[in-house]
This record gives sequence, structure tokens and C-alpha cells, in this order.
Amino acid sequence: MLSVVLFFLNVNIMSTIEREQIQTEIIRIFSEQFEIENPGPDEDLRDVHGFDSIDAIELLGEIESLLKSELTRSEKKAAMEIRTIDQILDYIESLAKTRS
Amino acid sequence: MTRRVVITGCSSITPVGHGRDDILAHLTRGVSGVRKLKHDDLYSKYIDAGVFGTVDYSVDYDFSRRDRKTMGPVSYYACQVAKEVLEMADPGEDFITSGRMGVAFGSTHGSPLVQRKLYQALFDDTYTGYSSIKAVDYLKFMVHTTAVNITKMFGITGRVISSSTACTTSSQSIGFGYEMIKYGMQDAMLCGGADEYDLSTVAVFDNLMACSTDFNETPHLTPRPFDRDRDGLVVGEGAGAVLLESYDSARKRGADILAEVIGFSCNNNGGDLVLPNRNGITQTIKLGLKDAAVSPDAVDFISAHATATKHGDAIEAQATGSVYGKSPMVSGLKSYTGHTMGSCGVIESIMTLYMMQEGFIAPTLNLDNVDEKCAMIQHVREIIEADIRIAGIQNFAFGGVNTCLFLKKP
Repeated sequence: MLSVVLFFLNVNIMSTIEREQIQTEIIRIFSEQFEIENPGPDEDLRDVHGFDSIDAIELLGEIESLLKSELTRSEKKAAMEIRTIDQILDYIESLAKTRS
Repeated sequence: MTRRVVITGCSSITPVGHGRDDILAHLTRGVSGVRKLKHDDLYSKYIDAGVFGTVDYSVDYDFSRRDRKTMGPVSYYACQVAKEVLEMADPGEDFITSGRMGVAFGSTHGSPLVQRKLYQALFDDTYTGYSSIKAVDYLKFMVHTTAVNITKMFGITGRVISSSTACTTSSQSIGFGYEMIKYGMQDAMLCGGADEYDLSTVAVFDNLMACSTDFNETPHLTPRPFDRDRDGLVVGEGAGAVLLESYDSARKRGADILAEVIGFSCNNNGGDLVLPNRNGITQTIKLGLKDAAVSPDAVDFISAHATATKHGDAIEAQATGSVYGKSPMVSGLKSYTGHTMGSCGVIESIMTLYMMQEGFIAPTLNLDNVDEKCAMIQHVREIIEADIRIAGIQNFAFGGVNTCLFLKKP
């Protein structure tokens, strides 16, 4: 489903509803991959949920495979500053825009 | 000034059970843990050996994802026995995290199951192949993965030693841990070894014609240490851990002392990396006795390395006989478990400790006819009552590494 959503991202059609859909998928990934249930949009993932740099790298892999696109080193470095779900959604949006 | 070193906790996951009761039940009833080899999707079809010392029961792990994410199967084994040892010895969190406790723990080659994924990526020249190589995978398969997953799980901040010397991995862990405490570098060491189910190890020995193949349909009849009809080793899996402490530390906190480690030796044959070496083994035993400050006739029981290879058993029997004569009772405990590789030294030490506590010696299984080349030692061929006051545990490895540990009843 996320791939479908990201397809729309790729053609740069972003609306509030699509962001919510992405958020739903990210929450699902966090539950299934990281065993982190329903993190709040502004919660500090590291402090509250122990989401560390290894997890961040794993998440980037998920994003790459879903985008079907390699991330550049600078894009990956930028992700290391991400601390919240909201920031992850912003990050995915920005990736989609650069690839549209 | 040296310090006495004691064991205050032990646990193991073995082909003959998980924990004391299971293992004692197998030892006292003469039940083998060797099973038919499980087939994989790679090269089991080419392997002639059809048996494996198998952990054929489930282990209830209760590890958080924080801990699990850096653990391959070998670290699951290692962390579980470490957890059980700390629960048993109960040294307290302050002591565990004080920096006065270290870890000496290893495996033969980390996690081969996770390594297989890396090797697959090495033959995939796409970006997908490249990007599949993860930091987390390295943490799962690296050689010291067992030791540092233990330090992470329990917050241990002392020294880390991660021996990886094949069959002497965990006997070195105990020996080096013993020396850390004896010479005052640490007050306690959590020591042991683990190896997961792995057919690449079987393939190595199978291609060397060193694996047992004559009993594929009757797994419990092999391996056959010291027996005339032995036809090679049986690779196995498992894990074991012991907590070593200084005697004073254990007494001060009122810990139960299970046994005392009174001696350790380690040397190298200084030559061939595969063939057993009588002089090297003889020297190891003598060095161990010297470190333990006991005479050969004071040793009641020897846990022989005894892999059931034609050459290895004969050399070990001759070396052992040349030092001890027929004085101590000798058993080959791999006849129960198969050769659990990196964990064999600690598992055999724990089995010996249990027999020391219970006052019996388990016989070498399948020793129907003692090979005349192995007849110069006192084989145990049926279960006997025995007061083991001092025991020697012998292990030898590819690479020409030899070890000998000595345990004393408290």
C-alpha cells in the first residue's frame, strides 16, 4: 500500500489525506519491524521508544525499497537528525519531491 | 599474590537437555542427544554424515527487541545461558555493572546463518545486493557477537575476551576468565561459549573424512569415543556459561560455591594445524597439573576431549596414559552430545560439575570394545558411584591449540 502512496508522491500529488495514509503505513512498519506501537507524531523516538541509529538505518532501507530509488549519502545523513514520526513524514515528502 | 577462583553459577543448552535436571537425566540413563541431520537448501545433499548433536527442543526466550536486534541464533543461545547463570549466582546489579565483572565468551565463527546472507550479497552486484549488507547483520555474525550481546543485555562494563579457537573456544574462556580473577584483573568473569546449528562446520569435517557416517540410521550409536569401531566425530550445537568469582568475593556475599577452578593450561603444538600431537597434549596436561599444584594421582576423573576420530582418540589416550597411567576414571562426554564445537569445553565442564555434585561418573556411550590403541587409560563403561574431588577437562582444537582445566569439589 505504501508503494501505491509513494507512486502518487512520485508524481508530486500530496494532500493531507495522503500524508495520513503514509503515516498509517509508517505506524504499521514501526509496529511490525520495530515493535514500537502507536508512537505519537511528536514523540522523541529515541528517548521514548529506544529507536536508535541502527533502527534508523533499517528504516532507510525500507524507504529505499518502497521508493524503488537509492538514497544519496547526503539524504541518508539528513535522516540521522530525524527524531519524530512527523519528521519522518516530512522526510519522505521531501524525497518524493526531489524524485518527481 | 594470587586469588582462589570459584564457580557460583552454571547453565547450559545442550543436545541432552537444557539445565541441570535434563542433563542429569540423560547422563544417568545413558541417553544420547544425537539425531538425524536436518536438511537445508544448500549442501546437506552432498554431506555424507547424516547425524548431528541436536538441540531438538524449544527454548523460551524472553528478550526485548532492543536486545534481539543485534542477535543471531548463536547469541540467543549465549544470552540465554548467561541470563540463567546470573539469575542462579545472583551477584546483584551493582556488581554486574561495576566494571569488576567481565565477560569471556566466544563461538567458532559467530553466526553462520547470518553470514550466509552476507555471502549471498557478495555474489549480487546490484544495489539491492549492496544495500542488503547491514550494520546490524555484522553485529549478529561477528566473531565476538556472543560476548558483546551479553555485555549489552546485562550492562557488564568489565573486560571482554572473545576467544574463537574452534573446539577450545569455551575452555579458553573459562581458563582466561580464571586467570583474570586469579591475578586480580577482575573480581568476576562470566565465561562460556556457544555455537548454533550449522552445516558448514559439518561440511568441513565431512570433506576431511573426519565425520561419522556409518551410523546415519542409528544416530544414538555414534559418536563412539575410544571404541574399536568409531568412525569419526558428530558435529553438534549448544551453549554453556559459568560465573567465576574470586573466592573471597563469593564468600563475602554468601554465594553458593559449586566448584573451585584450581588450574588451567593452554599451549600450541607449534606445527600441524589439524593433526593431534601427543607431545603437545602431554605438555598441556603437565602444565595444567603444575598450575593446579596437584599430582597426577590426586585427579579422580578426566573428561576427555574424545571426538571419536581414529587418530585423535588414540593420541589423547596415549598422552593421558603417559601422565596419569590408569589412575583417574576417564569418560568421553561427547558420546552424549556430539561435538558441540565452541561450547564443548564449558558444557563438558558443567557436566563434570554435576557429576561431582551427585557422586557418579557417566560412562562413555557406545564404548562396546575398547580400541587397543586407547587401552592405556581407565575407561568408564558403565555408570559408577564416585566421589570426584578433582577433575580434569581436556579439549584440543584445530590450529594445534590444547587446553586443560582442573576443577575441585568445594
